[in-house]
Amino acid sequence: MSQDPSTYNGGSAVAMVGKDCVAIACDLRLGQQSLGVSNDFEKIFHYGHVFLALTGLATDVISVHENFRMKTNLYKMAEQREIEPESFANLISSSLYERRFGPWFVGPIVAGLNTKSGNPFICGFDYIGCIDFAKDFIVAGTASEQLFGMCESLYEPNLEPDDLFETISQALLSAVDRDALSGWGGVVYVITKDKVVKRYLKTRQD
Amino acid sequence: MEIALGIRVKDGVILATSKAFTRGISVLKATDDKTRMLNDYNVLAFTGESGDTTQFAEYIQANIQLYTMREGSELNSKAIASYIRHELAKSLRTRKPYQVNVMLAGLDKGEEPFLSMIDYMGTRVDLPYAAHGYAAFYTMSLLDRHYKPDMNVQDGMKLLDMCEAELAKRFPVEFKGLLVKVVDKKGIRNVRGDTKVDDPEQ
Amino acid sequence: MPGLSFENFQRNEYLVNQAGFKPPRATSTGTTIVGCRFKDGVVIAADTRATTGPIVADKNCEKLHRISPKIWCAGAGTAADTEMVTQLIQSNLELHSMSLNREPRVVSAMQMLKQHLFKYQGQVGAYLIVAGVDPTGPHLFSIQAHGSTDIGYYMSLGSGSLAAIAVLERDWKQDLSKDEAMKLCATAIQAGIFNDLGSGSNVDMCVMEMGKDAQLYRSFMTPNVREKKQRNYKFARGTTAVLRQSVFDIVEVVKEEEIPVGSSDAMDVDH
Repeated sequence: MSQDPSTYNGGSAVAMVGKDCVAIACDLRLGQQSLGVSNDFEKIFHYGHVFLALTGLATDVISVHENFRMKTNLYKMAEQREIEPESFANLISSSLYERRFGPWFVGPIVAGLNTKSGNPFICGFDYIGCIDFAKDFIVAGTASEQLFGMCESLYEPNLEPDDLFETISQALLSAVDRDALSGWGGVVYVITKDKVVKRYLKTRQD
Repeated sequence: MEIALGIRVKDGVILATSKAFTRGISVLKATDDKTRMLNDYNVLAFTGESGDTTQFAEYIQANIQLYTMREGSELNSKAIASYIRHELAKSLRTRKPYQVNVMLAGLDKGEEPFLSMIDYMGTRVDLPYAAHGYAAFYTMSLLDRHYKPDMNVQDGMKLLDMCEAELAKRFPVEFKGLLVKVVDKKGIRNVRGDTKVDDPEQ
Repeated sequence: MPGLSFENFQRNEYLVNQAGFKPPRATSTGTTIVGCRFKDGVVIAADTRATTGPIVADKNCEKLHRISPKIWCAGAGTAADTEMVTQLIQSNLELHSMSLNREPRVVSAMQMLKQHLFKYQGQVGAYLIVAGVDPTGPHLFSIQAHGSTDIGYYMSLGSGSLAAIAVLERDWKQDLSKDEAMKLCATAIQAGIFNDLGSGSNVDMCVMEMGKDAQLYRSFMTPNVREKKQRNYKFARGTTAVLRQSVFDIVEVVKEEEIPVGSSDAMDVDH
């Protein structure tokens, strides 16, 4: 009975940068090893205009989300504004590293647009808070290796929101089809200056 | 090897638990009730390490009742689920965590049927139908195939019968049948396997 | 470090030992890092590959960290540890130099780092090359995760250190010029980039010279630029089947009202 907390429940996420926009996507599966339990487990949350995907051990996904909801609400009260993606990334980093010797088993991804500059921002983390700043794409979860391959070939810079949606969706779809622990539905958020579009993808159900 | 099954239907929630109370290779009781009533519209089913299970369920039960006494209002199902998840996630970080998996059935705010499954780590999922442990492997296919969101309690009971028949046929462990409870507008009631009637000792 | 929470330690100990879980793998900077002194200063350099096991997690990460304006540090080992330990010492050194009203010294940075790392008995997996200039001159140190330190004219650390040290041993000589030192470091890092699987991508460099501001050369060399894609995999819009979609606006529209400054009925508040 050898288990790994980061693959026990399964699930994957990916984020990409486009032209004045960002996209973030995840699958909907939650399982217990080989047994699928839920096809309605969304792994993307948002705190104001900043989006966060959390993959990994589901109990920690919930706990960490609840924790960041509290922290961003306190931030909002103290600062009288919503937290920006860059600050949120540092908040995540220090919150995860605080638990260096008793970590949360999560793989977070941040995506959003900076309200002041309008610049797209994405980054990823390992489970103890090391930030991976990337200009193009970030992947996480049990299908991360497949996602790396898909993104590396499908991605191109400066895609318009509608094209970015197709690229990130196809990358996610192809990747999770080659991962037994991911899939069972998908969600894609495309974030632009004046609106956010959330789309549920039609996917394989095996 | 205990069974906990839940089906959420249009007008209520059905909750079923195995009646066998087992220790090692012996069945110690054939009329066990693995549920606790939390309030008029919420009931908790549990499986896991014996001792931990009742201890935890009754701890939750007491705190839900305490809340009602203090605040003068009932906690709704979502809040109860959130509270239980928090207790389990908190317990996991202690020296000896509760090894308890639970299923919460209720009418949210006395209206909306609600079913939530929470494992010992604190993984919470709100589902239309759910099963804990090995029973899931035998019953999920039936539930996937025959479940319809607009079913009523009667239809749900038929579906539960199919699940029980399958378990009786293929599950290698004697579980002494299912104790079935229903939560709906009328409250919580036993529909099958009443522990008092079936208990040969009483 | 005050503030590190061990709250989940018991839980994870339980998950690993009782529930049979396997601990996950953190990002490590497989890494080649080098440092080299020259006549009037010191230079450090690093590759830019971060790995998780055999996977390249980041193709262009930053392994050169600023401790103070003229003291920089190259990190190998567990990526989060090198980053956080460096940030912590940066803060403490700043406070230290403010309380003494003196420029921070490289030995102070080294002493604070080694005492911190020794306290954690190697559990904080940071392997560092610390370099900089201060009023006492240019300095170059290396620190191991367990807390031991070395002083040298040239040094390398990380999985690519063997490849890099070979180059350093071959070409190093006393009193190199600045340009020679930079060239030597770049060559040593490239030896790591091309011969060590844990290292790759670009060369980052930082030059610290007496009486001058430290110079960070991000992407000093880019010997691994990916060939531009000749064609693309762009999908026609509408390729992906969508079940349903919703559009929402997350930007809170706040009406801003201008409040005249110094109006007579403004409340007096002590700040």
